[in-house]
Amino acid sequence: MQKHPIPNIDDERTRLSSAATGLQVMLAIVGFSALLGALWLGWNNSDELRSFTASYLVSYMSFLGISLGGLFFAALQHLTRAGWSVTVRRTAEIISASMPCMVLLFLPILVPLLLGMTGPYYKWLDPELVAESSLLQWKKPYLNLPFFFARAAIYFLTWVLLARFYYKNSTRQDVEGGPELTRRMEKVAPVALILFGLTVTFAAFDWIMSLEPTWFSTIFGLYYFAGSVIAALAAMILFAIALQCRGYVAGAITVEHYHELGKLMLGFVIFWGYMAFSQYMLIWYANIPEESAWYLQRQSGSWMWVGLGLLFGHLILPFLGLLPRAVKRSKILLGAWAVWMLVIHWIDIYWLVMPTFAEDHLPFGAMDACCIIAIGSLMLAAIVKIARKCELIPTKDPRLEEALSFENF
Amino acid sequence: MDAVETETDTTRVAGILAEFETAETLKHASTGLREAGYKRFEAYSPFPVHGLYETMGRRRTILPLLVFGGGLAGCMIALLLQWWTNAIDYPYLISGKPFFSLPANIPITFELIILLGALSAFGGVMVLNNLPELFHPLFGCDKFRRATTDGFFIGVDIGDKKFDETETADLLRRLSATDVQIYHHPQTEQRIPGYIMAAAALIVALALLPPLGIALFRYAPKSQPRIHLVSDMDHQPKYLPQQFSPLFEDTRAMRPPVPGTVAVDAVIDDTHYLLGQVDGKPADTIPIAVTTETMRRGRERYDIFCATCHGLAGDGDGITSQLAFEREEPKWVKPLSYYNESVVSQPVGQIFQTISDGVRTMPGYKYQIPTEDRWAIVLYVRALQRSRSATIEDVPEELRKHLQSETAKNPNRAR
Repeated sequence: MQKHPIPNIDDERTRLSSAATGLQVMLAIVGFSALLGALWLGWNNSDELRSFTASYLVSYMSFLGISLGGLFFAALQHLTRAGWSVTVRRTAEIISASMPCMVLLFLPILVPLLLGMTGPYYKWLDPELVAESSLLQWKKPYLNLPFFFARAAIYFLTWVLLARFYYKNSTRQDVEGGPELTRRMEKVAPVALILFGLTVTFAAFDWIMSLEPTWFSTIFGLYYFAGSVIAALAAMILFAIALQCRGYVAGAITVEHYHELGKLMLGFVIFWGYMAFSQYMLIWYANIPEESAWYLQRQSGSWMWVGLGLLFGHLILPFLGLLPRAVKRSKILLGAWAVWMLVIHWIDIYWLVMPTFAEDHLPFGAMDACCIIAIGSLMLAAIVKIARKCELIPTKDPRLEEALSFENF
Repeated sequence: MDAVETETDTTRVAGILAEFETAETLKHASTGLREAGYKRFEAYSPFPVHGLYETMGRRRTILPLLVFGGGLAGCMIALLLQWWTNAIDYPYLISGKPFFSLPANIPITFELIILLGALSAFGGVMVLNNLPELFHPLFGCDKFRRATTDGFFIGVDIGDKKFDETETADLLRRLSATDVQIYHHPQTEQRIPGYIMAAAALIVALALLPPLGIALFRYAPKSQPRIHLVSDMDHQPKYLPQQFSPLFEDTRAMRPPVPGTVAVDAVIDDTHYLLGQVDGKPADTIPIAVTTETMRRGRERYDIFCATCHGLAGDGDGITSQLAFEREEPKWVKPLSYYNESVVSQPVGQIFQTISDGVRTMPGYKYQIPTEDRWAIVLYVRALQRSRSATIEDVPEELRKHLQSETAKNPNRAR
């Protein structure tokens, strides 16, 4: 009854070989040197770490989104009791399990703030500005440093615990087997996703939206979430392709799974466009100064081209590109789109954050490159480290059979 | 081959139906048929069989293209519609946005893309599957009913180029069919009964009546008023002239004016008081009682109505005047000072007329300030003028000493 026979995965390579250790060490070294380079550049700029913080925040929020999107994917599969996704779910779990690394990578933002080494790049930190603006005084009970840190702690705690929960239980099932652990993960999924939704929304408010504290958009959290899920799906696709290129899980992840991940990515591309446009149109139509100022800045000068680039690069081109069935079933084409989406995801965050720091030009230099390499490499090192310790697919998941025999019509 | 069962010999053959044991043999057989060059055959199974579609060698469906075309058409139609209606046919400015403005048009465009995409998917499925098909010759085979429970079948249509009653049956048997039979078109031609056709024709005819009636009423000349389907605000619950009202004792809806009402164009008899004129010339006297009370009232009214332009002391430097000079308003003329000789020499009646009807750029105030108060203001203006040309004799006897001692203490204040 099958188009293809069900893949036999008995002699599948599902554990990373020792060569991965070398990769992990290499990535860690590259990451740390890039991080030191970025810090050194930032220190020498003697602008109260302004340029460093801006570049670092862009890259940090981009990569954090990948980790968060992985967590969302893992929890979502349990919420919907999905059978098809079992073989690719582990990649999402591994990606999200890198959350503790993301907590450490938050330190370059946190420590300078704590020590007061930075300028008021979050404008609500500027006492003069707050004294002038009754709006900021009114927001003071929310936008103040102690509460800011307390909230960050809550977010990270939630994410680390949830990511750990799904990773640990899923890998425990590799040893113990049986449906009990699946049931437990399914039970937690609704709560996990509600907590996830709240924390991601407020994290996006806190870390990106509050850069312009007088601007507000209630849909902003959803916007960041939509972009993050795209990035996570792209990362999962690339992760799976990389594993298969090295001869791992050759049979377990089939073209059907790539097809399905591609469909999800296409869906979230449209969702991102929907969110971005919903946010834009209401503000554009109402044209109230306090709201439209944010867009005005992102529409004027060179930033306009970035915005238009997002319209085409983040929505229209990927939509048309991912639409044909053949594209989603080709590893090369889908992989190319995944790379594209990761790059455009970074540009999306760049467009959200950077105009606050550079109003009239597009800054890109060694600092940004260092930050991308630093955070990317360190996160990847963490992912390799985690992946080395576990099976690359949930070998004893009760729905593994269903996933292996999954077919698209 | 006589083994082929034939139910009747008189009816037209529609095709051959072959039964198979399992889904696997069904797939095998459809592969065999395809390889033998058959094209018009269909496989039937009680559940979806993965891969069956491919074994039949069918081309991929064009449905996705239809849906894409539908979506594209929706996009174009929506944009065209909004461009035509809002930018060309009836330009309507909304919130200062351009007449044709893409962001505002996207929601409708999006919805129409979805609508036409979905409709083309629905219509495409119907058309590509020959639906609705009320009857198929296979329904005449009793065996075929098992296709919905546990039977696997292949039906080869007679329209296939390679169709041959014996050869096709042989081939199907070789492809491990457990049972092969010829099926026929029904003996009686299936026609829609006459009464259904008649009823349908009647419904269509009746459906034409309302639009015809509307057309008739709209375009034919009539002596009666037209039927008012949409009345807008033509009929309102209000009284028209000469109507009855049960509310009042005299049942008149039109009410007489309240006693004491003065018409705007009423005859003016007391020209001195009302116009400040005596025998057609500005009056020299004030027609109201001159008391301290009147003076106070005049000062109060003056400060309220006049001081903004003329200034509290009447020098023409009120706050409005100052602001106008600050802004360099090109049309602003500074009010004439009250102490200007041309104003001092005016009789009170002329000042009253100026207040009432205005002069040059100054507007009239007779609708804001009652007559009594206008005379009080005149009185106060006269007092202001007097204050600048006063002598010690104007000061009451008992206050002269006090004033003189003040002036001695502070000579700068003396004028």
